[in-house]
Amino acid sequence: MIEKLKKIVKPYVQDQAAFEALTEETDFIKDLKINSANLVDVVLDVEDEFDITIDDASMEKMLTVKAALEIVNEKLAQK
Amino acid sequence: MIGNDIVDLQVAKKESNWQRRGFLDKLFTGEEQELITSSNDPFQMVWLLWTMKESAYKAFHQQDYNRTFAPKSIRINLISKSKATVLIHNTTFYTHSEINEELIHTIASSQKGARILSADFFKLNNTVYEARHLETYQKTLQAFSGRLKLSPVLFEIRKDCQGIPFLYKNKIHLKHSLSITHHGSFGAFCIGH
Repeated sequence: MIEKLKKIVKPYVQDQAAFEALTEETDFIKDLKINSANLVDVVLDVEDEFDITIDDASMEKMLTVKAALEIVNEKLAQK
Repeated sequence: MIGNDIVDLQVAKKESNWQRRGFLDKLFTGEEQELITSSNDPFQMVWLLWTMKESAYKAFHQQDYNRTFAPKSIRINLISKSKATVLIHNTTFYTHSEINEELIHTIASSQKGARILSADFFKLNNTVYEARHLETYQKTLQAFSGRLKLSPVLFEIRKDCQGIPFLYKNKIHLKHSLSITHHGSFGAFCIGH
């Protein structure tokens, strides 16, 4: 699943070195330097890829790889 | 508390699609979406409102370290094309925006009549993200030291563990609040009293 997520965030990444070294602790904005306006594209792409809906309360937390994986797992389990 | 945000409109056009399904719904309240759809330049309105939210969020984050991505909980009351009040939880921010064909730059302050010491935006010469980041820092230091009629080498910018930037003079932490932003070919800063 982390590989799928990496593929999704790749086009928005502005720090390639941080992307190469991506772990669960990686922060989309602080580490990958993804523009905050593009964070919504990451959320929408994740919704499309996994066929889930990410509500506002979940999106609020989606700042790191770890949080994103947790949200996807939670939403998949609810399906 | 102050914050600022800049959007390079040419880059925004290329790197974001505001007409994408779900995009407006995730970022803007119903009222804000109405401002966008009824505007004669919806693209410009999207990015004007976005810089208002983003600059206010940055100012808010200087006192509340809890980071979130909750753009809809930031509510805009648009007063004119260049002015708004922005509400985050119970804090009101006052924003002032400058718009031209190439960019939108918005400054937010928690005080009315923005107690800004210095603020500016500029074109960046570098083309790579990291170099643009450094160039924005350099230009900020040049402007600040120039205002004090001192050499820029005395000053530096450091971020604390929350990622909030601060000015230092001779390694001593200065009290001024500071916000730095860059997007595409443009950088900007604002410094509070």
